[in-house]
Amino acid sequence: MGADFGVQLLQTILFGVMLGGVYALAAMGLALLFGVANLVNFAHGEYIMLAMYMAFVFSVTIFQDPVLTPLFNIPLFFAIGVITYLGIFKRLIKAPPLSQIAATVGVLVLLRNLALAIWAAEPKAPPYTVFATSFSIGPIIVPLDKLLAMAVSFVTLFLLNLFLERTRLGVAMRASADDVEAVSLMGVDTNRLFLLTTGISLALVGLSGSLIMTYQAVTPTSGLLFGLLTWAIVALAGLGTVKGILIASIIFGLADSLASGLWDPRGREIVLYGLFILILWVRPKGLFGRR
Amino acid sequence: MVVAVVVIAAVVGISVFTRVLPLSQPTPQVSEIRVGLVEPLSGTYAVFGNEARMAAELVIEEINSKGGIASLGGAKLKLFVEDSKSTADGARLAAEKLVNVDKVHVIIGAFISSHTLTMLDVTEPKKVVVMADALVDYLTARGFKYIVRLPPKASVHGATAVDFAVGVFQQNGMKIQRPVIVHFDGLFGEVTADGVYTRLRDLGIRPVDRIKYPTDITDMAPIIERIRQANPDVVFVVPYYADSVLFAKAVASLGLKVPLIVGAGGTGLADPDSIKASGEAAEYMINTYSYDPFLPTNYNKQLVQAFQNRYGKLPTEAAGIVFYTLWTLKEALEVSGKNYPDDPLSGDNLMKALMSLDITSGPAAETYPSGHIKLAPNGDNLYAQAVALQVQGGKPVLVYPFDKAQAKPVFPRP
Repeated sequence: MGADFGVQLLQTILFGVMLGGVYALAAMGLALLFGVANLVNFAHGEYIMLAMYMAFVFSVTIFQDPVLTPLFNIPLFFAIGVITYLGIFKRLIKAPPLSQIAATVGVLVLLRNLALAIWAAEPKAPPYTVFATSFSIGPIIVPLDKLLAMAVSFVTLFLLNLFLERTRLGVAMRASADDVEAVSLMGVDTNRLFLLTTGISLALVGLSGSLIMTYQAVTPTSGLLFGLLTWAIVALAGLGTVKGILIASIIFGLADSLASGLWDPRGREIVLYGLFILILWVRPKGLFGRR
Repeated sequence: MVVAVVVIAAVVGISVFTRVLPLSQPTPQVSEIRVGLVEPLSGTYAVFGNEARMAAELVIEEINSKGGIASLGGAKLKLFVEDSKSTADGARLAAEKLVNVDKVHVIIGAFISSHTLTMLDVTEPKKVVVMADALVDYLTARGFKYIVRLPPKASVHGATAVDFAVGVFQQNGMKIQRPVIVHFDGLFGEVTADGVYTRLRDLGIRPVDRIKYPTDITDMAPIIERIRQANPDVVFVVPYYADSVLFAKAVASLGLKVPLIVGAGGTGLADPDSIKASGEAAEYMINTYSYDPFLPTNYNKQLVQAFQNRYGKLPTEAAGIVFYTLWTLKEALEVSGKNYPDDPLSGDNLMKALMSLDITSGPAAETYPSGHIKLAPNGDNLYAQAVALQVQGGKPVLVYPFDKAQAKPVFPRP
């Protein structure tokens, strides 16, 4: 019994870390937009839903496998980001939070109903991926689809961190997260900065949509699941670093997996959001928040 | 004076004659029968509501094209569709509009049991008949007077899944010893799983685990791991559609080896959309349904063909229930027109007509799994029956009841 429980515990921890890896990428786009442009995007979950649908479309029409769909999803969602910024977000940057919430909730409703009109309500998923299998290390099973999703997520976040730390543009983005007025006074074109930030934010969404579709199905209401979750991760991490998002995501992934596997799957949200409230009670700025 | 007496006598005589001895029964003057349909057309459960709407439009068109309701002078059915928006409040508002504004005579809906319950708060006081396409047992156990339900209730689905599994094990000289029950935590999941549990208990079999999960689950891996740790010989699963795709994919990718996985409740796993979304992971999945699209009657074959021609998909749970519900309504309207010509569409008379039916032939019987519809005093069909479909070669095939099966169930799962 003890050995069995040990195996189950190890297995569940592995699932939790993998899940956290995917959550991290999904939340990073939101953190970037909120941190740099100070924009409250309530439609973030819906953009993830849209990215999942596009991954489905590309995998059944062109690639046969969702693993290859980032090739199209990343540039497509970068472009969608640019269009969204020019069409909607640009006017919201200096607007009060209430206006931002109202406008992005409008985008949320629009995207959700657009998905319902185009793809109907049936769950859609790519019927095939070469990674839909697993291998064993002793008694521990490692699912390839989630291992791949986690690995791609970690590499992407590592590269994003390098970009933010080592490039002029990245430094400008981080500086903007601290004080946008000062950045503007230093001669940085904040309009261009926010445009690129929105593009990168949605490109990350495009990638995470593709990764999620290696093991998930999508419906027009899938955005609901990811919307709240990614906001909670960003709040838990605090506005600061990529590392913060990664650690907060893994905490959420572990809490999710351990609650589902070892206690009661219905208690998942109690554990997730109980932990969330507890951490924010102790550290109101979040785990790694600078402001 | 004599003339006056003769005239009065003639008038009185004719009037008495026509009242007491009518030459023929008068046909009720009904211009149309207004049928309401409350379904989740948007939101979480839209997949079911849209299929139900498709079925209703198809069948009503057919009934009207064949002359409408003969006993009501060929009156046609007029469909009023309302979206419950996948919420209980939405269903109540939809029912209020149908009852108070559209003045419908009968409502079919609302697929989700808790939504149907809120609808009944509106329809019962107004004596509007509800023909429910929702399965949770309690709908017909709360003493409502104007409700009927033709499909098998949720606990029957659960019991059918067990009967099927027990039969498969027996055919292979085995006995179920370590069943696990897995289900989503909504009311429908609970009641259907209770049906599984109760039938197992009656057979002296004790489940080794019962796992409940939220409908909006994003990761099935921990659930699959818990099933694996329980080492079951059969898994009974009650999913709610999108989660069935997650479940099937997780079983496949994590290589869960269980001799038999049987769904219950008619939502997900073995319908064409779930198969398309799950791909190879759907293979050998089984679920119970309230309708058998492969029922080999002439009318069912025609209707399935017509549905496929128009909508490009096989009708399953939601459409099938609407098929036989609408044809049963048609039969009831014919009876009501004959027996209650003065007020054939009142809730009381329509209920009396429905309760008097004993259908064993015609389109309603030909689309119903048992071929027999007769309502018990609580409004449930006495001859309710569920069937089981298994995915074989990427397509659903009928595997239960065994005597009507198209193919033998694949057992154990490879």
